[in-house]
Amino acid sequence: MRGTSGVLIMKTMQLRLTVNGETRQWTIAPGDLLLDVLRREGCYGVKRGCEKGECGACTVLLDGKPINSCLMFAAQAEGCDILTIEGLAVGDVLDPLQEAFLDHGAVQCGYCTPGMILNAKALLARNPHPSEAEVRETMAGNYCRCTGYLKPVEAVLAAAGRAPAPARSGRKAVKR
Amino acid sequence: MFDLVEAFHRPSSIREALRLLHAGGRRARIVAGGTDVVVRADPEIRSLVDITRLGLTYIKRSGGAWAIGATTTMAQIEHSAALRALAGGILVEAAKGCGSVQLRNMATLGGNLANASPAADTAAPLLVLDAQVVVAGERSRRTLALADFFLKPGETALGKALLVEILIPAPPRGARTAWSFQKLGRTESDISVVNAAAGLQVDGKGVCKWCRIALGAVAPVPLRARAAEALVTGRKLDGSLVEQAAAEAAREASPITDIRATAEYRREMCRVLVKRALAECAARAGCSL
Repeated sequence: MRGTSGVLIMKTMQLRLTVNGETRQWTIAPGDLLLDVLRREGCYGVKRGCEKGECGACTVLLDGKPINSCLMFAAQAEGCDILTIEGLAVGDVLDPLQEAFLDHGAVQCGYCTPGMILNAKALLARNPHPSEAEVRETMAGNYCRCTGYLKPVEAVLAAAGRAPAPARSGRKAVKR
Repeated sequence: MFDLVEAFHRPSSIREALRLLHAGGRRARIVAGGTDVVVRADPEIRSLVDITRLGLTYIKRSGGAWAIGATTTMAQIEHSAALRALAGGILVEAAKGCGSVQLRNMATLGGNLANASPAADTAAPLLVLDAQVVVAGERSRRTLALADFFLKPGETALGKALLVEILIPAPPRGARTAWSFQKLGRTESDISVVNAAAGLQVDGKGVCKWCRIALGAVAPVPLRARAAEALVTGRKLDGSLVEQAAAEAAREASPITDIRATAEYRREMCRVLVKRALAECAARAGCSL
């Protein structure tokens, strides 16, 4: 930004929030978007996709609720609690959803995976045993351009204890 | 994208928010859910005023009437068990169609209205409910009918004031009162190509005592189909009357052609949605057409 004298002026502000359980204080520009700040601070699991709130690759949980971080100004996250995919596993122990995505081969290029898993995490928190229709409706805000939605949907249902493990009954557990 | 923004304000009172908006002039912009402001990415913006910390996030009921704070999100409306009981849940249904789960956690009712898109999904049910909007200026507050709030695409009667609350007066009630919301979009959560809402009340003989019909995405603003309403009111509800009213509503529409649909298609779908809405209301009110 250039002031009247032509000198470069960088306006900044402080952002205090909790990210993956740790208190952070970051210096941000007033127009920074949350997606950009999270990536700048090393949360590379927050993916840049469409940048208009359609694809869901940038999904994070804000106070437990999935949001598109590409549409939120970072300054709006002041005092909030953010969970990114980096904060989901406890040490080396993966979240049941992460395990289920692996077990079901629900990951191909992986770009949509963090957003899908976080969105599903919030769904299971408020509805531990969703129907397939509820899972699909929830995941409608997460686009996959590799392989589709069958395996991720199976994985979420499996993590919710709704479908048998793939080794035993494979895909037949889910009606199409 | 917003490199030229010089200040981000998080006021904690309406008064302070208004002061900041006035100080920022044309280059200040209100932000709540961000889902419209960020996508539009207006390069003229120099200051942003976040209104999500003004205490305007609430759903209140008093008697049969409702007051919803402007920054209440679509998700909060959708998950409100109380609002599901209002007018057959047409407002809840409309909120559920406002984008993905993620977007509905961000997008606000006030934003959906103040953005003044002719396709705003919550506008049609609120028009059917005779909703009013409460607007706060620096010196005073005023209440105006939602029907008078929309001026043209992207423009409202707000001026320099702030939309703070949506009021829904006690709607007609009883077993012979029924409501319907209809939406046509590419997918359930996509923006409406056309939407419509209706509400009606019939007497014991099936004569319509009260009727509201509202249309979205078929005119410069969301609007009431007043001629169609007048046609239905005072007459016995039957299949032929529903057909006539739907055709009348389609005549009241003035749709345009854009990337989503042609004007001709919109007008025809407007007729179909109004017919479906009235037929659904009739069935719910116990009338056989």
